[in-house]
Amino acid sequence: MKYLIVMVAVVVLAGCGSVRKVETGTNKVGERFSMQLEGPWNHVDFPGIKPGQLWTMEGITVDELIIYAGIKDGQVMHPDNAAQTKKQNVVFRRDMPTEKIVSMFESVMTRDDSVFKLLRIEPSSFAGRKGFLFEFERIRRNDNLRQLGFGYGAVDDGELFALVYVAPALTFFPRHQARVEAIAHSALISPPVGAAAPVAILPPPVRVSIGMPGQRLPAVSTAARAVAIPEPK
Amino acid sequence: MKRRQWLHMGCAVCASLAAGGLLAQGDLDYAPPERLARPDAASDEGGLWAMMDREEKNLRRSGLLLRDEQLNRYIQSLACSLAGEHCGDIRVYLVRTPQFNASMAPNGSMQIWSGLLLRVANEAQLAAVIGHEVGHYLQRHSLARLRDIRDKAALGQVLGLFGIAGLVGQVALNATAFAYQRDHEREADRIGAVLMHRAGYSVEESAKVWDGMLQEMRARDGDGATVSPLFATHPPTPERRDSLSAIAALLPGGSAGTESYLTRVSPFLDDWCEDEVKRHQFSESVALFSRLMVASPVAGLMQCYRAEAYRLRGADGDDERALSDYRLATRDGAPLAKAYRGIGLIERQRHRNSEAAQAFRRYLELSPGAPDAGLIRSYLESA
Ligand SMILES: [Zn+2]
Ligand SMILES: [Zn+2]
Repeated sequence: MKYLIVMVAVVVLAGCGSVRKVETGTNKVGERFSMQLEGPWNHVDFPGIKPGQLWTMEGITVDELIIYAGIKDGQVMHPDNAAQTKKQNVVFRRDMPTEKIVSMFESVMTRDDSVFKLLRIEPSSFAGRKGFLFEFERIRRNDNLRQLGFGYGAVDDGELFALVYVAPALTFFPRHQARVEAIAHSALISPPVGAAAPVAILPPPVRVSIGMPGQRLPAVSTAARAVAIPEPK
Repeated sequence: MKRRQWLHMGCAVCASLAAGGLLAQGDLDYAPPERLARPDAASDEGGLWAMMDREEKNLRRSGLLLRDEQLNRYIQSLACSLAGEHCGDIRVYLVRTPQFNASMAPNGSMQIWSGLLLRVANEAQLAAVIGHEVGHYLQRHSLARLRDIRDKAALGQVLGLFGIAGLVGQVALNATAFAYQRDHEREADRIGAVLMHRAGYSVEESAKVWDGMLQEMRARDGDGATVSPLFATHPPTPERRDSLSAIAALLPGGSAGTESYLTRVSPFLDDWCEDEVKRHQFSESVALFSRLMVASPVAGLMQCYRAEAYRLRGADGDDERALSDYRLATRDGAPLAKAYRGIGLIERQRHRNSEAAQAFRRYLELSPGAPDAGLIRSYLESA
């Protein structure tokens, strides 16, 4: 009973609870970023997630896909969240090398003192640009949940475009990994308004998946999943 | 009879000096209670114990626990030397979290975070913090406060994301840092000092703990909440440091145990420093590593991590500071892979390609399987 009340209070406090379905097909996020979806996702509107956009398959406490569609030079990553934790702001700079961009994501994901372990970082094409990919393990601070995640990113015309996915290492990460990879492969950055046509569009990334060692990815059903934010019972 | 055993005979003289000061002689004759019995399950206290038992069960499964057997045995035995006959009731858990924190639940389960282990310089300083927490336990200070923490703990289970991690994180942190009343704090400080003195540790070191934390907090405007959730309830005020110094003057002698401490923790320092840098509170980290560099047998490692903090902060002049630290840390060819990587990354940014390539090669030699080896190799190829 107490549990429920607290839950409701927090949801109201955070001003969240706004969930919108994202449909199969081409989805545009921001002015210049688009991707193809097979099967719908839930877009959850959290003030703390800006300037990212938060999508989930299973519910926000389970898995999170964060989309960054053109973070500008000098823009603060998740400023509301930083204010709450009294931690210093993390700011994107257009000339940041890859390791610093990844370090910035790491910072965001350890604001709650979760343990973050980088498993891999390497160059990769992304959204038709030269970019990078990174893979990580995270132990979520408040419930000790072991998560796996990965991200793709690229900087175009001084703006950062990226996808970061994180989900419980058991069940959920393997369940949705291929689906998210497919989204990453389909991502495209369109040229800034008024710019000349892009020089060359690179092919989508190809890579071996992380998952659990020695484990094969399960087949992914493209059928829509029934998804919702879990109700506290 | 039991109480007598606890009286520290050697204290008669030093305690008598307390007369005119803040402390009455009786304050330093602390006699701990007998072992705390498990409360009746039907009682309120019993309910709280049951709750803490559940938390403890979760903690035991936690991926955040430091499970190294030797390190656990070492710190448990240090706690035992302070807790005396309560030793069997106190279970120490080492948690991998880069903040300065220790907490004690009323059922005897105690958490010590790796950020604390990184920040204390010796056994005596660790004993000061553990002794303080044991003081809360022996005097059962936490009972009243635990009630509302129950709600907060439940809340912590509900929301765990990114977006509102701040809110949840704070709640989760608060759940491990019980807010005691101020007079309880003073009492715990005093008991901690007495216990560490009886165990043969220098009480002077306890004041140094808070002094170090004060320095770190001053590295940045703020209330220090990012350095330690403990500060909300245990402000490292000059008064606190001074009153501990006053107690130390009354309880002289004892050892610091610096070498034995560093020997035990040195295998873990690399991980803990890395966690510290990952907090991305670089100015605080710079202050911390600067402090840890002084007269330490692990000065090179600390200097390398100070360089990491400078490099990642990237303020004006930070690249130069970082380079200088990396170079000093590796001056005798010390195999600090991260330092070579750091040199390479900064030189690359400055388009000094051959310097960058040389450092990257050394990095990959020392750390061929590093998670960022792919990235560094690509930098090397394009250098
Ligand atoms: Zn004495
Ligand atoms: Zn205390």
